[in-house]
Amino acid sequence: MALGPVLDWLDSRTGYRAGLSHLLDEQLPAGVGWWFVTGSILLFLLGVQLATGVVLTMFYVPTPDHAHESVRYIMEGLPFGRLLRGLHFFGASFIVVAALVHMLRVVLFGSYKKPREVTWMTGVVLLLVILAFALSGYLLPWDQKAYWATTVTINVARSGPFGELVAGVLRGGEALGALTLLRWYSAHVFLLPACLIVFVVSHVYLMRRHGISGPAEPQAGPSVPFHPYQLARDTLAMALVFAVLVGAAAMFPAPLDEVADPTDATFVPRPEWYFLSLFQLLKYFPGPLEPIATVGIPGLVVGWLFALPFIDRAPGRRLRDRPLVAAGFAALGVGVVGLTALGLRDSPPNEGPRWTPLARAGATFVQDARCTACHREGGGGGPIEALRPLRDPEWVRAHVRDPEVLVPGTRQPPEGAMTLGQAHSVVSYMRRVRARTGPLPAVSAQEGAAAMIAGRYCSSCHMLDGEGASSAPDLTTVGRTRDATWLREWIADPALVDPAASMPAFGQVLSEDELEAVVSHLAARR
Amino acid sequence: MSTPSDVDPAAAATGRRRFLGRLVAALQTTIGGTLGVVLGGAVLSPGLAKSAERWLPAGKVDDLVPNQPTAVMLRITRQDGYAQVVDRRTVFLIRTSDTAVTALDSTCTHLGCRVSWNSEAQELVCPCHGGRYDRTGAVTAGPPPAPLTAFETRLDDGDVLVRV
Repeated sequence: MALGPVLDWLDSRTGYRAGLSHLLDEQLPAGVGWWFVTGSILLFLLGVQLATGVVLTMFYVPTPDHAHESVRYIMEGLPFGRLLRGLHFFGASFIVVAALVHMLRVVLFGSYKKPREVTWMTGVVLLLVILAFALSGYLLPWDQKAYWATTVTINVARSGPFGELVAGVLRGGEALGALTLLRWYSAHVFLLPACLIVFVVSHVYLMRRHGISGPAEPQAGPSVPFHPYQLARDTLAMALVFAVLVGAAAMFPAPLDEVADPTDATFVPRPEWYFLSLFQLLKYFPGPLEPIATVGIPGLVVGWLFALPFIDRAPGRRLRDRPLVAAGFAALGVGVVGLTALGLRDSPPNEGPRWTPLARAGATFVQDARCTACHREGGGGGPIEALRPLRDPEWVRAHVRDPEVLVPGTRQPPEGAMTLGQAHSVVSYMRRVRARTGPLPAVSAQEGAAAMIAGRYCSSCHMLDGEGASSAPDLTTVGRTRDATWLREWIADPALVDPAASMPAFGQVLSEDELEAVVSHLAARR
Repeated sequence: MSTPSDVDPAAAATGRRRFLGRLVAALQTTIGGTLGVVLGGAVLSPGLAKSAERWLPAGKVDDLVPNQPTAVMLRITRQDGYAQVVDRRTVFLIRTSDTAVTALDSTCTHLGCRVSWNSEAQELVCPCHGGRYDRTGAVTAGPPPAPLTAFETRLDDGDVLVRV
């Protein structure tokens, strides 16, 4: 190999060997062992996040119109995309854990003490930067969780000092939307990485300047070089963590909810586990007390962390010499774990998309020849299953009533018209298809008939499972208050039950079997 | 680490250093390689992907005048990353017999301009550099280096299907 002379030349011009030697041949105090791999693991995970993040930006589009679709493409269309996003998604959780473990190690060994106060403070900044990364990252897929968790975050910001101003800056516009997504994206891919790099470099520089702190009590024995002894521990630990990360990314697809829907009242937002304790804390400080949970307690904790090296100034580094610090972190740990556990119990994960009666009815409505004339492979409109449901039901209904108005030159208006309920059903169906809800499960003929009636008639005025119009009472749990007998009489002719009723009579519209089907369906809604 | 008394301790330490150095190199190569496959695969594969071909209806065979190229616009839905785009593509259908139709791409093989049918000259003419093709797509004049691309066709119950 003729590489030797080339490297010699490179070294004579750059001095890279001396630099490498400075990096690798640091002498470590005796007794530095496995405890001291935590920082390297964190640094490694941040590197993985940076690399996967850069590749994700090649496929991600930061606009409300396309963000969700582009993430869907990464998951389903892009070779290695599922693994790529999985590494980035689970990597975020791994980093939060690794950062906490690293911090606890530093606390355990009293490594924050003189002369390493500033090293510790840059570390606290890095923890905050990591949390900001996590927070800004999960808005980006623009799914339900992203939208609603960010709505909560912005409203939390409103309760602090200069709340409206801060909330306005976070939102970037009048409401949560395109401008919000763009600025959170910009923060996530430009601003925060820049902060991260500056503080990581400072942190590592300071670590090297003061040398690694080593065991709490100096141990006898010769010092050992970083390479290869500690580097081997670091690398083994990294390989282990990386293997678990790849395993997680390969086994579990990173979640992606339905696309964000600002009108959906059924979605219960629940943040990622690492923010769950803060989220839960809000529940104990209602109304005017809210700032205690949003600003007060978190502010005190962060302030205490920053000030820790100045509060605990005794030279002893052993944990048993520092009972107050130990007690403080134990209390903080119990608090965070306890609140997280309560949060998990209080807000069960969303079930994910499922087939509702309206979606079932919509699946039938879209097979109408008036739709499929254009909405087919190679047709003018594209298959309905491939369309993104960007439009609301009012638009869909207008489109079907008079397509010329909305898309000039398409075709003659079809005969007959769609009810608002049918439009709601079609939109519901399209959303289920886009959310990959899985095949439509078979139901009894009676249940199928009830779904069709609910889609065609009921949902034109009533809400069912969060879908449909809202000009009449919500029927989602109507069975709790009305029994089958009452429902039958009411649906057949409301005026007979209440002369002032505004609902039309369906006794003549529905067959006896249909009436029976819809009555038993509604009565079973509890 | 205990060292047998008959082994030189300095040599053992060197051996241990060498072993650990190799272990580090091997593990880091494995980690880097795994990341490289995932990241490289995602970056490279879309650039190397081939679009899937399919049969699209292009019209009725009865509507075609024998031996007269008829321009037909095909709407080809194509996945462009996350987006679905519709490519509008003009092809010439030429009914060569009652049971056979040929389809020619309208893209000039010279520099990619759009050719059109000149019924007086009975030629497909490219407006850019004067390339000319006959109704089989063969070059009759001008700079085009190759005949027009022909698509596979078949007839299905009077419908002309073109494979694009």
